[in-house]
Amino acid sequence: MSELLKDKPQKREKKTVKVPTEASHGVRGKETTGRTKDSMSIVSSIDELGHHEDTRMVVTMENTYQTGPYKRFPVGAVTDILKDVLTNYLQEERYEVEWSQKMTKTICEVTRARVKDLMIPRYKVVVLVHIGQLTGQSMQISSRCLWDKSNDTFATYSFKNSSLFGMATVYGVYFE
Amino acid sequence: MDEYQTEEETTFVVDEVSKVIKESVEAAIGGNTYQHSRVNQWTTGVVEQCLSQLSKLGKPFKYIVTCIIMQKNGAGLQTASTCFWDNSTDGSCAVRWENKSMYCIVSVFGLAI
Repeated sequence: MSELLKDKPQKREKKTVKVPTEASHGVRGKETTGRTKDSMSIVSSIDELGHHEDTRMVVTMENTYQTGPYKRFPVGAVTDILKDVLTNYLQEERYEVEWSQKMTKTICEVTRARVKDLMIPRYKVVVLVHIGQLTGQSMQISSRCLWDKSNDTFATYSFKNSSLFGMATVYGVYFE
Repeated sequence: MDEYQTEEETTFVVDEVSKVIKESVEAAIGGNTYQHSRVNQWTTGVVEQCLSQLSKLGKPFKYIVTCIIMQKNGAGLQTASTCFWDNSTDGSCAVRWENKSMYCIVSVFGLAI
């Protein structure tokens, strides 16, 4: 199955985005700030923790003559994984800044490892984890995707306890 | 099937995408105060605007756009993502926007076809 994604898929991690009340934030990378009326926009790009190979060529894959995936993305199994991981890591925990920074990354890694263990060929995986403090504020998380509806899908699960909430989403995108 | 595309067209260009996102967010919610009743249509608006602008770029990519709008209340929020994909062609971009009453975080993941 060597025509799949690279033999050593490199991890690409996005640094956690803190949302503090003061203006500073902990994301490195290019930033530009622009001011309009009473809003401030800060653009930050991802921080690549894996080493970047500049000499890498874009590989053209050979034609596989495969019209669709042989094995589909198992939404139910992935939802169970998310439920399992979130409940185990977040049950009875209190929200603390440093701890939750590490925990979001840990949950991401663990989820991705378990989804990879399911060995679904030709599917790319994106895992998104949010952990937030519950202080009576209101928030809305939504997402939209431009993809192939018949092959690509997602699984999501959210968890809540008295001081925090955790939400995890896994997107499975078929690689044609 | 030969594809006569230059390398620029098949890799995710962060700058271009972040510019698109910034403009979409400004257009959809710039200058508004947080209102619980309207936040649903705002997130939908931001995300759909982003997606339509991205599809106009005409690149061979599948996109995932996520938007979080949160009221400013002193609460903390952590977000992390990790991906299993092809590093040479796929990429992601996150834009953080705020005004006096709310925060808006938009992340875009682009996966090459």
